[in-house]
Amino acid sequence: MSHAAIAAAPVDSDLPGPYPVGSYAARLKQELQKFARVQLVGEVWGLRSSRARVYFELRDTRGALPCSMWLSDFEKLGLALTDGIKVVVGGGCDYYPGSASASPSFSFAVSELRVAGEGDLLLELERLRRRLHADGLFEPQKRLARPPLPRTIGVVTGERGKARDDVLAGLHRRGWAGRLVWAFAPVQDRLAAPLIATALRDLAAIPEVDVVIVARGGGSLADLFAFCDESLCRTVALLRVPVISSVGHHTDRTLIDDVAAVSCSTPTHAAEAAVPIDCRAARAHLSQGAHRLHAHSRRAVTERARTLERLAAAPGHHVARERRRLHQLVRELRASARRGVATGRERAATHVSALTRATDRARTSDHVARARDLERLALALAAHDPDRTLARGYALVEDTRGDPLTSAAGARAAHDVRLRFHDDAVDAEVR
Amino acid sequence: MSTTQPTYETAVARIEEIIRRLDSGEAGLRETLALVKEGRELVEFCAGELDAVSRGLEELRLDDLVERLEGAQR
Repeated sequence: MSHAAIAAAPVDSDLPGPYPVGSYAARLKQELQKFARVQLVGEVWGLRSSRARVYFELRDTRGALPCSMWLSDFEKLGLALTDGIKVVVGGGCDYYPGSASASPSFSFAVSELRVAGEGDLLLELERLRRRLHADGLFEPQKRLARPPLPRTIGVVTGERGKARDDVLAGLHRRGWAGRLVWAFAPVQDRLAAPLIATALRDLAAIPEVDVVIVARGGGSLADLFAFCDESLCRTVALLRVPVISSVGHHTDRTLIDDVAAVSCSTPTHAAEAAVPIDCRAARAHLSQGAHRLHAHSRRAVTERARTLERLAAAPGHHVARERRRLHQLVRELRASARRGVATGRERAATHVSALTRATDRARTSDHVARARDLERLALALAAHDPDRTLARGYALVEDTRGDPLTSAAGARAAHDVRLRFHDDAVDAEVR
Repeated sequence: MSTTQPTYETAVARIEEIIRRLDSGEAGLRETLALVKEGRELVEFCAGELDAVSRGLEELRLDDLVERLEGAQR
């Protein structure tokens, strides 16, 4: 500071000064004017005009700045600004240092002003998206378990919008007919975001609510900007119930789509995502499963009973088969035996016959031989028969004991002899 | 079967697993009867879940519900 100190009184402070405030204010004005001139985007609030200037506040969720613009410049634009309109302003910091009779004021001196276009909104959206993502707010909803068959579904939507009918159509298509809690809220104007956030919090506070749908039909990005509200998105990200968003058409992507558990292109699809299971198909599938279980149950018993029956009958069949086999063997043995006996008999008969024949043959030849021998012997015997000799005139001399006497000396010695002729014997005496 | 309450999805998955096992013909009588029993219980559970969302659409307004809940608390 170039100003000399005007107070000589000793002070305890280590800070420089004190300096005249006007000098400081003038220096502050110089310093602020050194700030780079920039463009800012925000919502216009509290527009008012004086004779020479218009004043308004430029706000967003994170802060605000007082703005001023020459009235003549503003009027050249021909804009009718109302509270909440998003604008882009160009300018730089300005400070009116005031005076002994006038209050100082700070403002952003606006030299350019235009209503924010889609490009401006998208840029702002991107910045906010990056911030939410960096804070990890895209993940919590996606980690929540979504029940396949929610019993109570909450829906945040406009009371008279087409989205309401689309949600009902989607639920009907799923065959779902549970409890539906409608939380109607404005879904377009710039006040919508806090009301939507309140509706979501209220729905999440009902323990029975399993899932919440936030639905809105298509519109311009500016119309859908309520669903890009940072505060709303932070609320959604931290809700205990999964939120399924369907805001705008599939080409639009609002920030609530990023933080929600699921984002869908239409309210109908959001309803279908809320009830992932087609209830009619599921019932048919379940019925089929029940029938198959029943069939298995019945088959398990009946088929096994048949098997058991078959197994139980098997020994009987086996015995019967063995018995038949044995009977067959017995029959074959008997037949074989009969055939064997007959053969033996025949063979024996043959043998007997042969023997008989042999015997006969033997007997005949022996007999003849023997007969011949006998005849020969008979003839021989007959030739030696003394009777035959006696018959021819010879006589046999015997002693009295009947012993033959073959010499004269013996006859003399015997004295009494017996003379045997062929017809009789006579006693004689030797002299 | 687990002692904890299954979800609809896990119940359906288990029913399909049971039917596959039964279809394979590899399960003995005792196992078959146990699987059929478990399957029937799961079918009952799933049917109950489906019944709960098939009784007819009930539409409520959040305002009415909040009012009713607050009235009940008072």
